[in-house]
Amino acid sequence: MMESAPGEETLQVVEALLMATPEPLTRARFNQCLERPEVSLEAVIETLRLRFEEQKRPVQIVFVDGGYQLVTKAEYQPYLQRLFQKPGRLSLTRAALETIAVVAYRQPVTKLEIDQIRGVNSDSTIKTLLERELINIAGREEAMGRPLLYGTTGQFLQAFGLGNLSDMPKLREIREIMGATESPTPVVHETE
Amino acid sequence: MAYRIHLENFEGPLDLLLYFIQRDQIDIYDIPIAHITSEYLSYLDLMESLSLTVAGEFILLAATLMHIKARMLLPRPEPTEDEPIDDPRRELVQLLVEYQHIKAAAERLRQLGEQRRNHYPRGIVITQEGNGVDPGEYLQDVSLYQLMAVFKEVMDRRPRNEPLQFQPEPIRLDESIRAIQRAFGSGGRITFREVLRKVHHIPELVVTFLAVLELMRQGVITVEQGAPFAEIYLHKVAAK
Repeated sequence: MMESAPGEETLQVVEALLMATPEPLTRARFNQCLERPEVSLEAVIETLRLRFEEQKRPVQIVFVDGGYQLVTKAEYQPYLQRLFQKPGRLSLTRAALETIAVVAYRQPVTKLEIDQIRGVNSDSTIKTLLERELINIAGREEAMGRPLLYGTTGQFLQAFGLGNLSDMPKLREIREIMGATESPTPVVHETE
Repeated sequence: MAYRIHLENFEGPLDLLLYFIQRDQIDIYDIPIAHITSEYLSYLDLMESLSLTVAGEFILLAATLMHIKARMLLPRPEPTEDEPIDDPRRELVQLLVEYQHIKAAAERLRQLGEQRRNHYPRGIVITQEGNGVDPGEYLQDVSLYQLMAVFKEVMDRRPRNEPLQFQPEPIRLDESIRAIQRAFGSGGRITFREVLRKVHHIPELVVTFLAVLELMRQGVITVEQGAPFAEIYLHKVAAK
């Protein structure tokens, strides 16, 4: 079946949906709201994106956590930061970033495996990440002691602007990028 | 105090080892174990001389390094077709390579997070205090879990050595409800902590908690909290 171009009304409705919800708009929600839409959500988003581009709108549509979300363009960040008078929503320590990287690439993963890969105890970091809902308990491993397994959450995808887990940069790609620009670790920072 | 800051830059023993490898431009697959072990051990000495507690994992890796060094010194059988050389460093190299990948992944995630933070989604609320807006106006609904967390916190704070006291008379839910309503006085808002402050015995605490739940159920009050672990407020719902 050839897909027809989205009609003006559908475009307006989807823009209204995006405008009204902070949560990413998934295909399921779109289908539910439009009741048998004649076009796919992807086609509508594509048309809206072109239109936004043409009209030089200060917002753009991104794909995060399995759905589409309306966000401001990066160039307005300084103004928005002043509006909210607080730093961005996410700041994680290196320990937390390392731990979440292990969870993201190895999930579902036990605390023991996280500790082994990092070479240090990750108890408190795991707790912090659980509290911030960046990771959650994904079950138990069927092994001695049935340890808890950890996995990442939708919140994680949103925090890092990822559409889904397969959007995660491949370790090989990271190595290629980082390998080229590997600089020696800065050691002594004279602070205060 | 530069040393102290210096030490804190390493996330753990693997991180420290990777630092030496990068600094001395060592091939990670052919680590000069004797050299790296002495570097590593002198670093631990430095930590100790600064009266810093050397964490167990640092000492464990020191032991591993010395073990590998010892095995490297032992004569090894000539490699054959079906039995290639078993390099004593193999396991350590695997750990280091894996940790290096995770470190790079963590850095990449940090960049992604930073990029994402430049884009603001809908639904962010200005919660900054002192700009003339009552922060209470922006309080969110509190979940039962959060309410229970505060309750547990209060319970945990109570002295443990108190002998368990049995109340001669049962504490009544309706009395507790009236007590909460009195606590509001003429105001429309009171903190959950305040409600619990006047309560001295554990059974009474339990009943007070139940009374709050009952008032919520009846729609007499609503309960709100600004952020996780922030103060929880009880609001009196205006009578219709």
